[in-house]
Amino acid sequence: MPVIPVAGSEEFANRPVSPAETRRAVSDAVRLHDVDAAAVEAVDPLTYEVIRHRLTSITEEMGEALKRMSGSVVVTDCNDFDAAIMDEVGEVVQVGLYNTQLAASLDMAVNWTLRNRCRRPGIGPGDMFLCNDPWVGGGLHQNDVSLFAPLFVDGEIFCWTGAVAHQVDLGGVSPGSWSVAGTDVFWESTPIPPVKIVEGGEIRDDIEDVYLRRSRVPRLVALDLRAKIGANNVAHERLRALCQKYGAATVKAVMRRTMDDAEARLRAKLRELPDGSWSSVAHQDSARAGDREIYKIVLNLTKTGDRLTFDFTGTDPQVDGLINCTYTGLRGGIMPVVLTMLCGDIPWAPGGIARCLDIVSEPGTINNCTFPAGIGKASVASAWATTNVTTECLAGLLDSHPEHRQRLMSACCGTWDFALLAGVDQRGGGFVTMLCDSMAGGLGARADSDGVDTGGLAVIPMGRVADVEMNEFAFPMLYLWRREEPDSGGAGRFRGGVGASSCFIPYDSPVGGVHLVVSAPGKALPLAPGVSGGLPAGTQYDVLLRSTAIRDALAQGRIPTSLDEVGGERELVPVHLETGMGPDDVYYTHWQGGGGYGDPLLRDPAAVAADVAAHKVSRRGAEEVYGVAFDEHGHVVEAATRDRRAALRRRRAGLENEEVPA
Amino acid sequence: MTVHIDDNLEQRPDGAVACRHCGTAVGVAAEPLRDALVRERDPQDAGPSVRAEPAHFTDRRVVLRLTFCRGCLTQLQAEIVPADEPSFRTRNLAVGR
Repeated sequence: MPVIPVAGSEEFANRPVSPAETRRAVSDAVRLHDVDAAAVEAVDPLTYEVIRHRLTSITEEMGEALKRMSGSVVVTDCNDFDAAIMDEVGEVVQVGLYNTQLAASLDMAVNWTLRNRCRRPGIGPGDMFLCNDPWVGGGLHQNDVSLFAPLFVDGEIFCWTGAVAHQVDLGGVSPGSWSVAGTDVFWESTPIPPVKIVEGGEIRDDIEDVYLRRSRVPRLVALDLRAKIGANNVAHERLRALCQKYGAATVKAVMRRTMDDAEARLRAKLRELPDGSWSSVAHQDSARAGDREIYKIVLNLTKTGDRLTFDFTGTDPQVDGLINCTYTGLRGGIMPVVLTMLCGDIPWAPGGIARCLDIVSEPGTINNCTFPAGIGKASVASAWATTNVTTECLAGLLDSHPEHRQRLMSACCGTWDFALLAGVDQRGGGFVTMLCDSMAGGLGARADSDGVDTGGLAVIPMGRVADVEMNEFAFPMLYLWRREEPDSGGAGRFRGGVGASSCFIPYDSPVGGVHLVVSAPGKALPLAPGVSGGLPAGTQYDVLLRSTAIRDALAQGRIPTSLDEVGGERELVPVHLETGMGPDDVYYTHWQGGGGYGDPLLRDPAAVAADVAAHKVSRRGAEEVYGVAFDEHGHVVEAATRDRRAALRRRRAGLENEEVPA
Repeated sequence: MTVHIDDNLEQRPDGAVACRHCGTAVGVAAEPLRDALVRERDPQDAGPSVRAEPAHFTDRRVVLRLTFCRGCLTQLQAEIVPADEPSFRTRNLAVGR
């Protein structure tokens, strides 16, 4: 059924609101702390740096607190969370280095809460608000649950802290809340607009029950809720101590200057870069199970003086399925790339950085969808695709500057290879988990070096992949392998980092098998483009092998190392699938690498030979894509390589029979 | 002033865009690849990185679209996209104009 507009949903269609407008909306409902420009100017440089770095370390401590209390491997081992410190109206002063996509719209959630909750139910000391409504902010899809808390100093809201983490299941038709057959949000976990779940320091049981009742793993989600409460409490403890030591006015002045400094330094950098425009496109194959269409997000990035305008005109309309993202997802696709590619030497204060950015986007498109479009996969679908176009356009901008081009990077990985397991674990309890192996995606190539192999994801600077042993301990599964895959990095003068694959079986579950949900695009076409003539990374490739003799092989002490050795009946897995895995079934999932940079035929043949020796590139790839010839010992034959490259240069251009200068 | 657009292209003071490897003109500032050679091939010609045929997953034809300098045949742009879509990849430096 096509998406039908829902009257009343416009209340939650949040957009950034200026501090002045926020103060007017809040009026006298709650007092907001402030300092004037003179106080900001008066802070001495040493005090500024000491307090600024303390704020940075507090976001790290929040992350540590969250990890220590959580029981979810997604959080404890994979760092799929983030934390931030915001000023009294929600502007982000410091964002943590974990999953920056998740925290990219915490400001909007806090700001909405201020404007809409300040009178009823009110905002007081010890309160914390929970939100997983991506139309409001605080996360990219319903699984991203944020918990944000005002810190009161002398009766005024001094600042806010927030923690957001991926929860493994919050209800909906399919386990993990990824309803791959869904057409709209009503198939999915119900979004929760900001609600006061902690009041005066105490959890409200009635609200928590409403929150947890929907989940297939309520105890795990409850533990994560307490982990986020703990993260906010740790931050408040540290911030109170900071205010006691330096005075609240000084700390607030540092917050203001941190954002001003980030803004000024980004503007200065932008002024060094040439004006111009860069366009790109990011595709996604399939919006839901059974869908075979391909969708596009188009970006035209214009840089004028010290401003960047991200114009998404031409992007496809929102679709029936789970791949749309809201405006917060759109922002979540932009800010992490701006941080990593433009702000490596600038404070990560999005509140200041965002002042340099304009966004043009039409509501009702796949990366700015309206309620009740399906958004269950928003984070790694349209938000991620937004990241890809942003990466490519910013790389183009940086490539035009002789020094700043060293900071560019092609798109990494292209998407998240989503595989979710659910069922009964080896201890007899119910479980749901998102396999986070594709956190080890390949990073994109740079203008002067290869991408980092299985280096991670640019938007999640501190993302990690759980140890195989941890996954086997926590869940009823047994790995046959997890390894880097040759040729998965985009070919180029500098090669994209390779991705990897995992192969596993259900293991030790008292019911034999497990439930499997797959949502992994990039199969019809690769999603991590190259830059400057570099090739895209490889495609996603998932295979289910049914009715194998794997148990016999293991009983005989043999561990298969290839799909051929695994045997069984092969099923090429579509982009979206929900199915069961029996005890003799094997799942192979192969995620993407990073895009390449420059013409592959310009790559140093010795580097190609080293890639072959290290299994980063296959012999076939080396010969057919890089045009390198080898002798029987695997050494490069220079003359033959020159000839092969000359021939390949003509052949790929369709000029085999024409005379062309070599 | 001549400025670099990327690894392969430069824009000259008169707005002409040329290959950095051989100097062949390939376009103008507003359309840097206007005169470049464009070829469409099967996606699997990109090499073993394309693991399966697109037809397994979509009914739209997908192509490997390559753009080359006409002089030295350096690969200037590479994309794997639906065949019925124009290339959305452009760049337009405002310097020198």
